[in-house]
Amino acid sequence: MAQDVGQDTNLAQSGDTRTSARVSRETISAATVAILCVVLLLGARFVSPALGSWSQVETVLVLGFFLVILSFGQGLVILSGGLDLSLPATITLGGILATSWVGAENPAAWYYLPVVLGVCGLVGMVSGIGVVWLRVPPFIMTMAMSIIVASALLGYTKGTPRGAAPDAAVAMMKSHILGLPVPVVVLIGLVLLGWVFQSRTIFGRYIYAVGTNIEAARIAGVPVAAMQILPYVLSAICAGFVGIALVGYSNGATLRMGDGYLLPSIASVVIGGSSILGGSGTFLGTVGGAILLTTLGTIISALGLEFGLRTVIEGSIVLIALLLLREELFQKLRSVWR
Amino acid sequence: MTGAVSGTAHAVYEQPSVALLARGLRKAYGATVALENADISLRSGVVHALLGENGAGKSTLVRILTGAVRSDSGTITLHGQPYAPATLIEARAQGVATAFQELSLVPNLTVAQNLLLPAMPRGPLGLVSSRRVIDAGAEILVRHGLERIDPSAQVGMLPLAERQRIEIVRAIENAGQMLILDEPTAALAETDWLFERIRLTTAKGVAVLYISHRLAEVREICTEATVLRNGRSIASVGLAQASDDDIFEMMVGRRVDQQARDRAAPTASADAARVSVSSLSGHGLNDISFDLRPGEILGLAALEGQGQRGLFRMLAGLEHPDKGQIAVDGTTAQLSSPRGALKAGSGIAYLPEERKTEGILAGLSAATNIILPVMPSASTAALISQQAEQSAARPAGQKVEMSPRYLGFAIGDLSGGNQQKALVARTLATGAKTLLLYDPTRGVDVGTKQSIYAAIRAFAAGGGSVLFYSSELPEVVQLADRCMVLYGGRLFRTFEGKAIAEQTLVAAMLGHGSNEGALDR
Repeated sequence: MAQDVGQDTNLAQSGDTRTSARVSRETISAATVAILCVVLLLGARFVSPALGSWSQVETVLVLGFFLVILSFGQGLVILSGGLDLSLPATITLGGILATSWVGAENPAAWYYLPVVLGVCGLVGMVSGIGVVWLRVPPFIMTMAMSIIVASALLGYTKGTPRGAAPDAAVAMMKSHILGLPVPVVVLIGLVLLGWVFQSRTIFGRYIYAVGTNIEAARIAGVPVAAMQILPYVLSAICAGFVGIALVGYSNGATLRMGDGYLLPSIASVVIGGSSILGGSGTFLGTVGGAILLTTLGTIISALGLEFGLRTVIEGSIVLIALLLLREELFQKLRSVWR
Repeated sequence: MTGAVSGTAHAVYEQPSVALLARGLRKAYGATVALENADISLRSGVVHALLGENGAGKSTLVRILTGAVRSDSGTITLHGQPYAPATLIEARAQGVATAFQELSLVPNLTVAQNLLLPAMPRGPLGLVSSRRVIDAGAEILVRHGLERIDPSAQVGMLPLAERQRIEIVRAIENAGQMLILDEPTAALAETDWLFERIRLTTAKGVAVLYISHRLAEVREICTEATVLRNGRSIASVGLAQASDDDIFEMMVGRRVDQQARDRAAPTASADAARVSVSSLSGHGLNDISFDLRPGEILGLAALEGQGQRGLFRMLAGLEHPDKGQIAVDGTTAQLSSPRGALKAGSGIAYLPEERKTEGILAGLSAATNIILPVMPSASTAALISQQAEQSAARPAGQKVEMSPRYLGFAIGDLSGGNQQKALVARTLATGAKTLLLYDPTRGVDVGTKQSIYAAIRAFAAGGGSVLFYSSELPEVVQLADRCMVLYGGRLFRTFEGKAIAEQTLVAAMLGHGSNEGALDR
């Protein structure tokens, strides 16, 4: 078996360039997305002078708040090799509980809001347990949970959610601190937290391991069941949090408030460079993907196009972005740069 | 048809009745040369055995002959015509059919459909007629003495032995020129039916290539044999002229002298067993009992599929035994997962068989891969940085002589040898006192092998216990203090110290010679 020796020396010689190649791939991914955002915003100026201003950047960040947080949860689930289709229902659950329960009884009682998040987390845990122990495929399990939760909410509200937004939710979404909107500050904090969780904790490592190869992770002694369930729980908590935030932003809940967020949450993760099959990708890439999608949405709606046309353009751009941001492109870029 | 046995290979080549003649076959998979230079000559109406150790190139040769892969170089002629099938169907069209060891039946189709595929009898409208299919299938079954099998039964519902018979019948039906039987008796309890089928087939002038690990069987049905070793055909012999010892020597070669054990005989350890296995059954094993003592390197030698994988997976907590007990440090342990095995008593760490699919986590760094089982102890309040990972992985990496600069690379980018070093380092980093190493040096270069051997010896010298399986006998001879031989799922023989030699091991692996326990057949 001496044939392995030659290969080994070759690798050793080319060794030093490999980490840099790896780093540059992630940098390129994040940088490409960031550059695309800037180009889009500046380009929009030519279309309409109102676009591309600082206040529009703020608008994008506030609107992007929801998608970034959702994509963190969705990204973890996808990283672990699953998929969470129950986001819309869980967002609505968080929103309805915040208005019909907390807001209607005692709007000042901010300390009930963690309980709301806990309820959402339980929904995620049921999904995770179904996927791991009952071996239901993730998209069936989370879709089923989605239908169950949505129907239960319909029954609970009898079709018309009552109540008002809790004070804390309104404060979080509507006030300013040091001249910046509070949601932007909260968003920056949460992005930091999410980045630390995904790339600097043992849980993050375990989830990467489970998503890369669950059998190898099991053999290596990773608690695979827990690390498959955890992403669903976190994703549901994120969705519940977004539900509460949406309620604070628009001062009320509706039964369809989460509907528009499912596909963008998945698209952000994939545009951000993660594999839809799990095991690879970074949270910062996902953040870039979410901001890019939000920028796009803002510009398109500012153009005053018809809804149908808007959706067609949005869909096409997502498709083009996915095609452009594929792995091959980075490999090509890397080989050109060498 | 000439049934006579010829004395030498060259005499065989001169016979006019040569059915298939292959010369200088070579096949490499990437850097791994599976077949170096193989010649084989099969005669019409003669059963020819193909013998060799694990990895000698038997499967590759069979795959070339069946059209599953194409050889890189070399020529094959079938009755004087060039023969280079690109697919199984092409091979079959030329009258070469194979009964595969792993069976190639479609489980959710009926027996009759499987026997007749791909050409089904059609009804008047040109559609497949299920009645005609069943009639034709039944006719084939009757012809081969298998009336008891219902032609309309789903293949997947039948017992393994019946499936194997159907696989063989289908091959015989399609073998106009040559029949290849790859381990045809693996699932059969008796050989009478098979041997009668083979005799009827050879009577029609078909050449038969018979691959089996069971030498007694080979002697009964085959008249000549080709021995492969390290991808080369070593000899073609008439079986009547070759003794068992001759054949073992041809299979193993004369390496025995060079690769003699370079260690003193182990001191008999009186310590209590660290891992004690009693009457373990299931997953291919049948009533196995043994003790693994502190400081001991226990080798396991067996041909493929004798239950070794089941044994390791049960000890690692990946499979549940049907019967029997595993005790760690004197306490019966319920090993329900690899994580549980790591925590059982002084711990059991497992190096899996398949590096790519069960071992490495390709996108993560080598350091992460090494410390994955002990991640919490390398972290501060669940936080971990790449620097912390690398410094935690360094000591284990040093034990296998892995260069620290590789620790930061994605393990998937490293060479196979370094990946394997990292995986061995992972088992060392767990702190477990028992290592289960399944083929610890599979597919690595000589230097890496020595590093891994040194790490294993140092681990045992420090009081650790090692159970390892190797598909390479020299490795068993070099490393093992004691060696168990599995055959047919049972513990066939155990050798100690100087008694561990390649030829005796080969004999035992083929189920030859006296044994301690009961023999299956």
